[in-house]
Amino acid sequence: MADAAIQQPEHDRPGFFTRWFMSTNHKDIGILYLFTAGVVGLISVIFTVYMRMELMEPGVQYMCTEGARLTAAAAGECTPDGHLWNVMITGHGVLMMFFVVIPALFGGFGNYFMPLMIGAPDMAFPRLNNLSYWLYVAGTALAFCAVFIDGGAGPGWTFYPPLSWQDAPTSRAVDFAIFAIHVSGASSILGSINIITTFLNMRAPGMTLHKVPLFAWSIFVTAWLLLLSLPVLAGAITMLLTDRNFGTTFFDVAGGGDPVLFQHIFWFFGHPEVYIVILPAFGVISHVVATFSRKPIFGYLPMVYALVAIGGLGFVVWAHHMYTVGMTLTQQAYFMVATMVIAVPTGIKIFSWVATMWQGSITFETPMLFAIGFIFLFTLGGVTGIMLSQAGIDRAYHDTYFVVAHFHYVMSLGAVFGIFAAIYYWFAKMSGRQYPEWAGKLHFWLFFIGANLTFFPQHFLGRQGMPRRYIDYPDAFALWNYVSSIGAFISFASFLFFIGVVFYALRFGRKVEEKAYWGEHADTLEWTLPNPPPEHTFETLPTREEWDRSPGH
Amino acid sequence: MPILDGDTTKAAPRNGRGFPRARLILRPHKSLTPEGFVWFIGLTAALISVPLLSILGNPIFWALLPFILAAVWAIWAALKRSWRDMDVYEEVLIWDDLMRLERHEPRRPLRDWEANPYWVRVAMHQKGAPVPNYLTLQGGAREVELGAFLTPPERVVLKDRLERELRPAP
Repeated sequence: MADAAIQQPEHDRPGFFTRWFMSTNHKDIGILYLFTAGVVGLISVIFTVYMRMELMEPGVQYMCTEGARLTAAAAGECTPDGHLWNVMITGHGVLMMFFVVIPALFGGFGNYFMPLMIGAPDMAFPRLNNLSYWLYVAGTALAFCAVFIDGGAGPGWTFYPPLSWQDAPTSRAVDFAIFAIHVSGASSILGSINIITTFLNMRAPGMTLHKVPLFAWSIFVTAWLLLLSLPVLAGAITMLLTDRNFGTTFFDVAGGGDPVLFQHIFWFFGHPEVYIVILPAFGVISHVVATFSRKPIFGYLPMVYALVAIGGLGFVVWAHHMYTVGMTLTQQAYFMVATMVIAVPTGIKIFSWVATMWQGSITFETPMLFAIGFIFLFTLGGVTGIMLSQAGIDRAYHDTYFVVAHFHYVMSLGAVFGIFAAIYYWFAKMSGRQYPEWAGKLHFWLFFIGANLTFFPQHFLGRQGMPRRYIDYPDAFALWNYVSSIGAFISFASFLFFIGVVFYALRFGRKVEEKAYWGEHADTLEWTLPNPPPEHTFETLPTREEWDRSPGH
Repeated sequence: MPILDGDTTKAAPRNGRGFPRARLILRPHKSLTPEGFVWFIGLTAALISVPLLSILGNPIFWALLPFILAAVWAIWAALKRSWRDMDVYEEVLIWDDLMRLERHEPRRPLRDWEANPYWVRVAMHQKGAPVPNYLTLQGGAREVELGAFLTPPERVVLKDRLERELRPAP
């Protein structure tokens, strides 16, 4: 036992390099994740802006074999460079899926707030946490290699064979993309093991699983999904790697392999992946809606079990991404019904958010605007999801812009609105300074209008029959592509404005002293801490009165 | 419960004193129960095996299996390790003429403290203490803390318990 130490000497604050490069502190690592994801997100968004510039008008104006251009006025012949287009969509997909949204929501906010909400002093394995972060950075570097080396990787983020090994003799780019996913997968698996262990074994005394805040629950379910699905993906892309480089024929018909099997394994990972992207946002939105409706969340337990049910069902619906590969009728019927069942827990969540707002005294601060925007966009995307789950209708919509519109509404707009809601909700908690409210609102409205202008017309394009993943299109699709591109530029402008707001607020924002500055319904444990929280939090276990708002249950 | 009544007959008799009069074991709070561990590993193993069903009888099965086994092993090992990291416990043993405190920590040698219970005082510090309701034992060669990993209310309970055990009604 330690000798009694009534006066403990304060230990030194770490220097800049020690603090940010060798950090084992979950809050610092969370901040690192957020900033890195922000930078990668900006690059990935720039890819999309370039793509929308190209799609703005029929014909190919920018992505030319003679050299990629930034202005359409550039003189000379332009031979369309389809491969550059493919590299762009692959880069956008891989970066957004693996290196932006998961690191921001799961790595960033999960790391920062999950331990605080359950009253844990840090993660269960702090050094492993540091390793996760740096593996993520290394994976990002490999992903950029995949975009720039040997002409770039262009099989799409799904890496379907045989497309993904056709260029094996001449290009290493796809190998880099596979390594990038390996490394980021290792990072996410280590991170999720850490988070699962922390959540299961380090909750404050008395905090049973039925009392854990919803955001912590959502992070736990996300971690669990990552742990269950990423090893399968790692196996699949390892086989792809040996197919490409060592002459195995796991997915090569010529050697007795089966390319459709790759799609099965890939989507066994891929479908949970889309829930991995969106579930933490569900958690954030629950807290934001409750805080600004000034009511406790409606139906806490159904919300928890809906999260678990969405996670569990996510594992048994994968083949709805591949109705057209030639499955039996029975298989299609099963995957159709299973997919539609997911609407039930999702509906429970949306119902509960709306019921939380019902008769609450709502105020529309920026986080609440983003939360309501999230609910609107996610519901809209969910409705088109039900349409696409029908195997018959999917025959018509498969690989059209309707699908693009659907998954951007649920995943990208859903997740990104969740990220922004979380940033504005916790900004002063993390930094000690508050953003100007008008700037947050302006960002919301610009982004909300821009995002809808971008993606809503893509429904029309899909119904007109415009296929995904092409650099060019016939004149008949010109109008809505033009509108969609205008929307993308507005969204991009709002993102640049947001970056400005963040740096302005970090330097000149109003200091916030009040601990629970959003009022008494921001009542989880992080709101009992100063802004920003000290380096070490909850070194002694928090007492039940600090977090239990409904001790009767 | 983090403060356990140990079975006094299981304690090793010391210096011919026989079994101690009281034995308390203090453990930090662990929120994962053994049942919870079984449930979690069971569900994880079941769900992660779902894709294996679709590739039974195919060579891909054997290529995928190691990844799945590695994942299940990793979370298993991590949860066990987390339990072991929290395997610190403090044991208080009281005889009529000897009080003994032992601190057992994983991967560290045992640390102990002894005093005559007649002189032992249980002190609770509020001001300048590293934790609320900081509890120390005075009366031995040096002042020692105990129950640092308990919650503040538990340390109040522990203080009452110790004082009762130290001064039994005649």
